[in-house]
Amino acid sequence: MLDFVLMVIIVVSAILALIQKDLLKAAILTGFSGGALAVLFQILLAPDVALTQAIVGAAIVPVFIALAVKKTQREDS
Amino acid sequence: MAQTQLAILFTSIALVVIGLYSAIFIDNIIKKIIGISFIEEGANLFIVAIGYKAGGVVPILMPGMDTSWFAANAAYPLPFGLVLTSIVIGASTLAVMLALVMVLYKRYGTLSTKVMLADTSKQEEYNE
Amino acid sequence: MNELIPLMVIVPLMAALIISAFSRFNTVTKIFAFVVAICLPIIPLASNYGLHYFGGYAPMLDNVTSVMYHPAITYSFTFLQQIFIAMIGLLTFLVVFIYLTKYKKISGPYLFLLFLGTAAVTAMLLTDDIFHMFVFFEILALAQVGIVAASSIDYSYEMALKYMILGSIGSPIMLLGIGFLLALTGSVNITDIVAAVHNGLVDATSPVFLTSLGLIFFGWLYASGLPPFHTIKSGIYSKAEPHGAALLQSFTVISMISIVLIMYRIYSALPIFEVLVVFFSILAMILGVSLALTQTDFRRMIGFLAVGELGFIGLGIGLGTQYAITAGLFQALNEIIITALLFIGFGAIVNATNEVDTRKLGGLLAYHPKVSLMLLIGGLAMAGVPPLSGFQSKLMLVQASLSCGFPEISILAIMVSIATFVVFVKTFYAMFLRPKPNDLELEGKSVPKSMIFAMGVLLIIIVLLGIFPDVVTSGISNFVGGIL
Repeated sequence: MLDFVLMVIIVVSAILALIQKDLLKAAILTGFSGGALAVLFQILLAPDVALTQAIVGAAIVPVFIALAVKKTQREDS
Repeated sequence: MAQTQLAILFTSIALVVIGLYSAIFIDNIIKKIIGISFIEEGANLFIVAIGYKAGGVVPILMPGMDTSWFAANAAYPLPFGLVLTSIVIGASTLAVMLALVMVLYKRYGTLSTKVMLADTSKQEEYNE
Repeated sequence: MNELIPLMVIVPLMAALIISAFSRFNTVTKIFAFVVAICLPIIPLASNYGLHYFGGYAPMLDNVTSVMYHPAITYSFTFLQQIFIAMIGLLTFLVVFIYLTKYKKISGPYLFLLFLGTAAVTAMLLTDDIFHMFVFFEILALAQVGIVAASSIDYSYEMALKYMILGSIGSPIMLLGIGFLLALTGSVNITDIVAAVHNGLVDATSPVFLTSLGLIFFGWLYASGLPPFHTIKSGIYSKAEPHGAALLQSFTVISMISIVLIMYRIYSALPIFEVLVVFFSILAMILGVSLALTQTDFRRMIGFLAVGELGFIGLGIGLGTQYAITAGLFQALNEIIITALLFIGFGAIVNATNEVDTRKLGGLLAYHPKVSLMLLIGGLAMAGVPPLSGFQSKLMLVQASLSCGFPEISILAIMVSIATFVVFVKTFYAMFLRPKPNDLELEGKSVPKSMIFAMGVLLIIIVLLGIFPDVVTSGISNFVGGIL
């Protein structure tokens, strides 16, 4: 059951990230999607992939995007 | 449970389609890059789902496990190894793209792709 | 000495890392880069043919089904790999040499990118593992973007970002294709996949197999810059420094032939594969030459001509007979050398005049006779004038398409060759022969000696390959007989 919930979270937060006006919110929602993907990898019997994805998808990628947004501009115009 | 695998297939296809849509049609360059990272995540999820075995165990041989039972029940670990590499590649590509965007923002003052990546040959003629 | 096989990848990779880490020590780094660059063409020539299993995991025989399995990443080194790696090593040496003599203060990251690209294409040629190929394909894309972005030409960042966005759409799609193949066969080793397809373990007409072909084919189109990616590919050539562009086009050619050979081995049972390759190759030939006619920037013109020449390679491989594939691979080898010569030569002209527009140039023959003569011979070789090397490979291609029963294709190939000749002669006339425009300043600017040296070395190879093509073609023909 949990896996279906996670799949819905992944897809919905991906769509939400792309329709945000605020790019910082989009970065955070990308992190949501990546984190849910990490838990899904754990359910799919791949704990090593889950660890990497948790670090890269839930921490590094959103932080990179947020840094880029901070150096450029925040609103999507 | 083939149900889970089918659902995962649909999720990964959905991620790839969302990513492709945003990479082609969205004007904002940072959102384009976010969409590209979704394409990569979709591909990774698909490859992990290949290795998944419903009702199986994690492919790590613990002491005390029966080898033949383990061989029959463990998930297939080769795709997992591939995805590890692929995740790291995706993160590094993303970092390089964002760095280029930051440099270009200083020159143009906007994140719009139409301004930033307009046909460069036309720009040269315009400058002359 | 089979231990040398992994060293062909490890030496440039380690050199890249060491140079970028210690680039503060200018003189030491220069000497080190020079020594490594000399080693690159020597290692493949000194090595023996053979296989290398990483980790020493030799292939296993399944006693029940009597099928061989390859658990390790395998490098296979034959005559084809030897000649191409030696050529790319020589080209890297020349490019690094030009770079080292041009600048007093060298940039560590730039040399890092040059060596990284060389290591990546070497691994792509050697490997027998489709995922390993994908990893180095991504590394190569990063290195190419870096080489373009590092140049001082206007709008190079924009072009690099554009290429990168297209690349990061293309490579996950290729990864999906590899995933489909993995799902079908349970292996990423190409020999295993081929065995599974040929033994009937995989249904060759199933939609999944066809989808994987489509996805990998899309990645191949991106990697080789065939249409619809021809504009961006010629764009990145024109935005890179001239010596960088000479190396970039060789990366493109090598990644094209290494991926298409893998696809040929897996999908040769499907007739649609050969039709697809021939279709896109013909499209590239026509589009490349016709777009080259309209260009006024001569770097862009050479870029489009290079894309058109890629079509000839694809044509040879798409026809699918032993003679045709040999011709295609020989054409690939010639194109690497000829296009590198043209890029370096036109780069020398840019260096001497600071002008890239053919309309504003003229009368350079009197000022740079050596460069113009070598450029003329290079251009004639690209157009296929006897007795130069381009003539031999194009003649083989025309004969191959005639013997396959496609006289239309051979007529088209001859017409494209003539069009290439016209484009080149038109540009050559505009730049070198017609009277010098009054506002063109030429006094006191000379061409670096290292560029003339590099062009001379490449020219000698072109002439030698034109007179003795059998040295290469017989070996390539044996290799092709092995994979058919």
